[in-house]
Amino acid sequence: MQFEKQVEILAPREKVWKFIWDIDRFIACVPGCKDAKTVEDGKRYTATMVEKVGPFKVEFPTTIDVLEREELSHIKAQASGADNKIGSRMKIALDVNLREQDNKTVVSFVAGVDILGKLAALGHGIIKRKADQVLDEFAQAVKTTLEGDQ
Amino acid sequence: MLKRFRLEEPESAAEVSELLGRFGDSAKIYAGGTELLLAMKEGLVQYERLINVKKLKGLSEVSGENGTIKIGALCTHHQLENSSLLQQKLPSLVKLEQNVANVRVRQAGSIGGNLCFAEPHADPGTLLMALGAKLVAEKISGKREITAEDFFVDAYETSLAADELLTGIRVPTPGANSRSAYLKFGYLERPSVGVAIALTLDGETVNNVKIAVGCAGPAPRRVAEAEALLNGKSKDEAVRLLPQAGAIAGRASEAISDLHGAQDYKEHIVGVLLKRAFNSIVS
Amino acid sequence: MSKPMTRHADVQTIPVSFTLNGRLQEIDVEPNELLLDVVRDRLGLTGAKRSCDVQVCGACTLLVDGRPVSACTTLAFEVRGRSVMTIEGLADDGKLHPLQEAFIEHGGFQCGFCTPGMLLASKALLDENPNPTEAELKHFMHGNLCRCTGYKKIIESIMAAAKKMRGSRA
Repeated sequence: MQFEKQVEILAPREKVWKFIWDIDRFIACVPGCKDAKTVEDGKRYTATMVEKVGPFKVEFPTTIDVLEREELSHIKAQASGADNKIGSRMKIALDVNLREQDNKTVVSFVAGVDILGKLAALGHGIIKRKADQVLDEFAQAVKTTLEGDQ
Repeated sequence: MLKRFRLEEPESAAEVSELLGRFGDSAKIYAGGTELLLAMKEGLVQYERLINVKKLKGLSEVSGENGTIKIGALCTHHQLENSSLLQQKLPSLVKLEQNVANVRVRQAGSIGGNLCFAEPHADPGTLLMALGAKLVAEKISGKREITAEDFFVDAYETSLAADELLTGIRVPTPGANSRSAYLKFGYLERPSVGVAIALTLDGETVNNVKIAVGCAGPAPRRVAEAEALLNGKSKDEAVRLLPQAGAIAGRASEAISDLHGAQDYKEHIVGVLLKRAFNSIVS
Repeated sequence: MSKPMTRHADVQTIPVSFTLNGRLQEIDVEPNELLLDVVRDRLGLTGAKRSCDVQVCGACTLLVDGRPVSACTTLAFEVRGRSVMTIEGLADDGKLHPLQEAFIEHGGFQCGFCTPGMLLASKALLDENPNPTEAELKHFMHGNLCRCTGYKKIIESIMAAAKKMRGSRA
């Protein structure tokens, strides 16, 4: 599943960039994500993703690897996790771009989300909607946090 | 093999509510089990306790009084398809119940369980919504009625509180000029698109139009905009407006592209079913 | 003869007293035991099959109080106080049921995997509606799948049995 999102943040690029690497604050913007830890600064992080659809709950201990990094403009990362209780795996390929536009920073990201295993039995449509919702909420949370930070 | 769980068998709604309050997420209400047991077998959910509600009295009846048809939450689909009262007053619901899943699911599955599990690809919720149904929820502190529109929140999610139990469904008895129909479409095990319409035919005029769409999206939805378009029109005018109403209803269905079909395909089918359902009740 | 089971003292068990093919059975089951597993593994009646395991195919069909259920998705304790019929109980002391005879005569089965479910479901149909139209038959039997026959012979078999059973009713 591919998702493309874009959010305009009324904050300078440097500030947005710095925020991304402030792992605790950044992870706090991802709905259902908690316990962020830095394994190797700038390279590898871990977190736990908890998502719920009705009675169905998943808990993915997730590893996030930063694959590419261009100061102030581009990040390529990969997150992967497995919920062994349910028997499902999750993979997200993330491509984030920052650019300045007037006095705003435009953050656009492409997320390739794959859910494998039993959870897929829930139905592609349900998972797609949930992933879309999570990404929307995430983008909004980043915007709100940064703009509220003035 | 199902993982081990403890069976609780309360005998009153208050007891059920108390158990739900006490055990929270680790307990689940169990009636026919036609949805729940599947999810448990898949390992998608796990509970320490199942609360068997089938010992509760008075929840398996269909009755009519004071202009309201009352359907107990524990009524099985089989009971509903064979209810002479429903055959008389709500033939569209009988036809729907006759076609739920297969004969074995109809034998075991309850209408209450169907509504509460809120599986997106389910039939009854859509028609009950168009019929103006209210859902009766009980807990220790009392009873309340929830409109069908407010009941279905999202896929697998209803507005029932954690310690609430659905005990019944109340449908206003349709008047002499009232008509309703439910049509569904699909070629997989569960339906892909479902459309319900209810209206009163006063001479040549179409009034009190209620339209609901389900199965295509995460939950059944009323389509007020399409209703407003057809309301108060003559039969012929309404027929001419059906394509427009169908397009509105299609978009309102929150259809998503998946194995059941592409989004635009489902939206198109909504329009087709709306047209057919409407024509079936006004001609 | 049911297999003995060893359980920890604090595991919940439910006494289930039921009639199985006309004979009284009394067993203890854990709440999570499925009817199909109890019938096949503990009671040794393997006519009912685990096929789709999601109550869609009908190969696990059993009759409980004369009504068809998916044994794969029924908790075993639910048959307490009820009568259960498996395919092994359809023939009367070795004498085949008219449905069984009809399926043989009209070729209503090939590999036989779906057949126990087909026979029990069609028995339930004819008990409810001794003279079904083909449409009614198809509707009732809609949930019993067959990969071999293409259904035509199954329909013929059931209709033939129905006719015979109607004829032999005084």
